Amino acid sequence: MRTSVISKMQRSFSIELPSLVPLQLPSRMETHLWYVVPEEVKSKSLLKHYSQLLSPPEKDKVLRMRGDELQKNALLARTLVRTTIARYQTNNVVDPRTLMFKKNMYGKPEVDWQNYKNCDNPPLHFNISHTDSLIACGVTVYVPVGIDLEDKGRKIKHDVLALAERFYSTDEVKFLSTIPDPEVQRKEFIKLWTLKEAYVKALGKGFSAAPFSTFTIQPKAGTTGGYNLCKEKTKKCNGEWKFGLLELADSHYAAICIEDDQASGGAPMRVIVWKTIPFVEDELISESRFL
Amino acid sequence: MATSFCSSISMQAPISATTRRFSLQKPVSIFNNGKTNNHLSFSLHRRSMPARHAISCAAKQETVEKVSEIVKKQLSLTDDQVVTAGTKFTELGADSLDTVEIVMGLEEEFGITMAEERAKEIATVQQAAELIEELVQEKTA
Repeated sequence: MRTSVISKMQRSFSIELPSLVPLQLPSRMETHLWYVVPEEVKSKSLLKHYSQLLSPPEKDKVLRMRGDELQKNALLARTLVRTTIARYQTNNVVDPRTLMFKKNMYGKPEVDWQNYKNCDNPPLHFNISHTDSLIACGVTVYVPVGIDLEDKGRKIKHDVLALAERFYSTDEVKFLSTIPDPEVQRKEFIKLWTLKEAYVKALGKGFSAAPFSTFTIQPKAGTTGGYNLCKEKTKKCNGEWKFGLLELADSHYAAICIEDDQASGGAPMRVIVWKTIPFVEDELISESRFL
Repeated sequence: MATSFCSSISMQAPISATTRRFSLQKPVSIFNNGKTNNHLSFSLHRRSMPARHAISCAAKQETVEKVSEIVKKQLSLTDDQVVTAGTKFTELGADSLDTVEIVMGLEEEFGITMAEERAKEIATVQQAAELIEELVQEKTA
């Protein structure tokens, strides 16, 4: 289902950006996932508009990327974050340029609401991930979120099992080593990577808080698309975190991890996915297949 | 080409009879892109350092070059994409899986093992090279 949004250009100043269409907040335990396909954003004037949204340090960071494509993707990533968060502000239309960001004490980026006197700001959480060909931003309220993307076809330059033995948990290595087909093994390695990475990002305490070898993520028995996180040492699986793994744009695996507030009674994660070009259009992706 | 120097160097100037002592406050990276006037009054090349001086240093040029090669290979960089000591992996488009593969490549090349927390902290070629040399030294100690 395609919903085209006609961008409104304000006539007063040529630098004035079209207004963003506001969005309804996700409900508790629901994740909204927005993605951009860089290849689909070709207009130089649109990219110029995007660059006007960024703060000076963000612009510097974009310019430090080595290569035009890398710079474009870095620009799109910041644009996606700013415009998406700006659209969820229910009370006032927030200019995406005015959003400020800070890092928590471990370096995880979050919104800095200090400029906004409006105390009704929803406790929005977001997390971003990108590959060469896709950029995604996950949004939740009340609970932290982590997302990770990987290209399904991504080549692993080392032996998959050797990498797993070096970085994954013993149970995960066991699981991977039982897979006879190397192509399937590579895919499962990548799926596991995105799940583990999404967890560490949701946790937001830096990689040293949860080295990959210290926890196992495995499919939940008797469910489709549910996963358990179990500690390697104790083998305890607490259920504090919920996972979802999707295929995005036919080309990528996307893993989402959110803190489970236990109120949902073990229900699977709800994810709503949109493909977007900021200021131009949103496309609701109604079929999200959990893996 | 980047030439790195350690925090305190004691050496003899190649031609003059007097011994000069250099003491720098912190490690200095001097980038000599083939320019003839450096803003520094001296210009030192690795080969002019007398071998008998033991130097504990920021990474050797050789290590930096080997690391750069491994990074270039992992990220499939083209020849025109320049990698210097100060290059951040993220600026080259490396994601976390790339970093882990780079670490694995470095471990294989140098015969060392990096603790995961330290490995994931590596952001530049220089940092990788320094950690490698530290681990190689520990190994041979």
